[in-house]
Amino acid sequence: MSKDFIQSAGLKLAILAVLFVALPLLLVSLDKGYIYQVVMLALIFSLLAVSLQLVTGIAGLLHLGHAAFYGVGAYIAALAGADYGIGFTLGLPLAGLGAAAIAFVVALPTMRLVSIYFAVATLGIGQMIFLVLQNWVEVTKGPNGVSLFSGIDLFGYTVDSELGIYFVVATIVCISIWVIHRLSHSYYGNALRSLREDDQCADAMGINTVRLKIESFMISSFFAGIAGALWAYTTGYISPVDFDFAESILILAMVVVGGLGSIPGAIIGALLLILLPEALRGVGDMRNIIVGFVLFFSILFLPKGLFGEVPSLNFIRRQFGSAWQDNPDKQKVGWK
Amino acid sequence: MTAMLEVDNVSRRFGGLMAVDSVTTTVGERELVGLIGPNGAGKTTLFNLISGFTPVSSGEIRYRGEKISGLKPSVIASKGISRTFQNLRVFPNMTVFDNVSVGAVGAIGQTPWQAIVGGSNRAQQISERSWEALEKVQLTRYANDLAANLAYGKRKYLEIARALAMNPDLLILDEPAAGLNDSETAELASFIKDLHSSGITVMLVEHDMGLVMSICERIVVLASGKKIADAEPSVVRQNREVLEAYLGVDE
Ligand SMILES: Nc1ncnc2c1ncn2[C@@H]1O[C@H](COP(=O)(O)OP(=O)(O)O)[C@@H](O)[C@H]1O
Ligand SMILES: [Mg+2]
Repeated sequence: MSKDFIQSAGLKLAILAVLFVALPLLLVSLDKGYIYQVVMLALIFSLLAVSLQLVTGIAGLLHLGHAAFYGVGAYIAALAGADYGIGFTLGLPLAGLGAAAIAFVVALPTMRLVSIYFAVATLGIGQMIFLVLQNWVEVTKGPNGVSLFSGIDLFGYTVDSELGIYFVVATIVCISIWVIHRLSHSYYGNALRSLREDDQCADAMGINTVRLKIESFMISSFFAGIAGALWAYTTGYISPVDFDFAESILILAMVVVGGLGSIPGAIIGALLLILLPEALRGVGDMRNIIVGFVLFFSILFLPKGLFGEVPSLNFIRRQFGSAWQDNPDKQKVGWK
Repeated sequence: MTAMLEVDNVSRRFGGLMAVDSVTTTVGERELVGLIGPNGAGKTTLFNLISGFTPVSSGEIRYRGEKISGLKPSVIASKGISRTFQNLRVFPNMTVFDNVSVGAVGAIGQTPWQAIVGGSNRAQQISERSWEALEKVQLTRYANDLAANLAYGKRKYLEIARALAMNPDLLILDEPAAGLNDSETAELASFIKDLHSSGITVMLVEHDMGLVMSICERIVVLASGKKIADAEPSVVRQNREVLEAYLGVDE
């Protein structure tokens, strides 16, 4: 018991140490603005992939418009900042809530659709939101995008150093992923998985399937909105093309390559698909082909993903101390 | 006293076919009732009507005096009616324990907030209830295996355990013995008897008469959607119409 506790605490500490000590030290010693951007992108896309994992990998709803909710969050944050002088502390939650609110409105009619029809509906929603961002020029400023030079203001302090911004982004991404981890690795998460497995049967178990689908879709969109706001605050400039269909597919690819249903898998997928193209910058035009090959072969040889759901759940139960083990056999089963 | 479950002149039409035709019957508290009939008699359809999977075409179903026909399956389930499926529907990509926990979380409930912050004892309750259900069917050894990897017979028990984790008052089992050999069927019969003596009302569909005759207190017989008998096993066994329905279709 205490050995498990030390082990799980140790792993959590190690993750925090890498994110908040080792990586910042590395960033400072390298001191290249470009590296900061790559790291920030990796953090933001980790959150995007993890949030999509909740609806698509866990609840089993194939969602092809995640980037649109990412865009909604980014635009709310950027426009609130640029046009109304609303800063980070209010802009960030507004971005999440705005994306969740739109998710609620579109979820009501679509959640009764099944499988491929739901996927096509989300494709349409993504496209609609993209077109609004692109064409509603009076509000969104259209294809020119929005510039935001306010930086991150935190309760009166303005964080404008690259390192400071890194700390803010890393903290928020960490908390967000922790929330989704808690949701996924719980009995609530099991109820979501039962929707994916057989939602009619889940219904007979007393699970309110429509409600759960709407909830997971809203929570996922909330965090996509948060990710969008982080993107807007860190880059200072956004435009509609950052949130088009290709971006939704990129996030979906991260989730699938990492392993459907696996939270750590989604992070691995995000890191791979952000860092690999950057690492390959040296090889020029060949790099996209190489990335394509990596995707293709990883799915061919590891269809369940680089870190699939089954090993991932065992990993979380064992190493994160998330299992219930008061049972007489002391097995690591269920959730605490 | 009113019966626990009242099926009141219920019909279900599929196109031109009356799958269930004006059936009226009751299940009393703590009864163990068998529902038999040849293939296609409408047994599964009647179960689907009771559990809310299929809407009734006419008639009414009441549970403890309250109308349940027209409610969603999840709402009916939360009133204390749980079921298994003829064609075995476990969640294949979830562990045995997690499968059972879905029944428990359906009945006990856990909100997203409770999942995130913990604190409440919901998770503890769900865990304990799931483990107890697994103990009842003696599957605790397989708690961490994927349901898809269990042997067929064990998956049948897993499905029953998942239903039991809901702490049902009325358990409806659709052909639990299908695909089992004689000794497994005998084992299942004594298991169902034990469940019944522990206080659960059981409604049991069987295509095969043997199991039902041996354990049920009362038997309802369907043929072509119509109820043709509703009596004790010894009486049903003598019923000419029943014998004809069975002998005409089977063997
Ligand atoms: N969803 C459905 N659509 C059309 N016909 C159905 C449907 N479900 C059952 N039936 C028909 O209703 C009749 C009764 O079926 P069922 O209730 O499954 O019988 P049993 O369980 O007694 O073998 C059969 O003729 C079957 O083909
Ligand atoms: Mg049947």
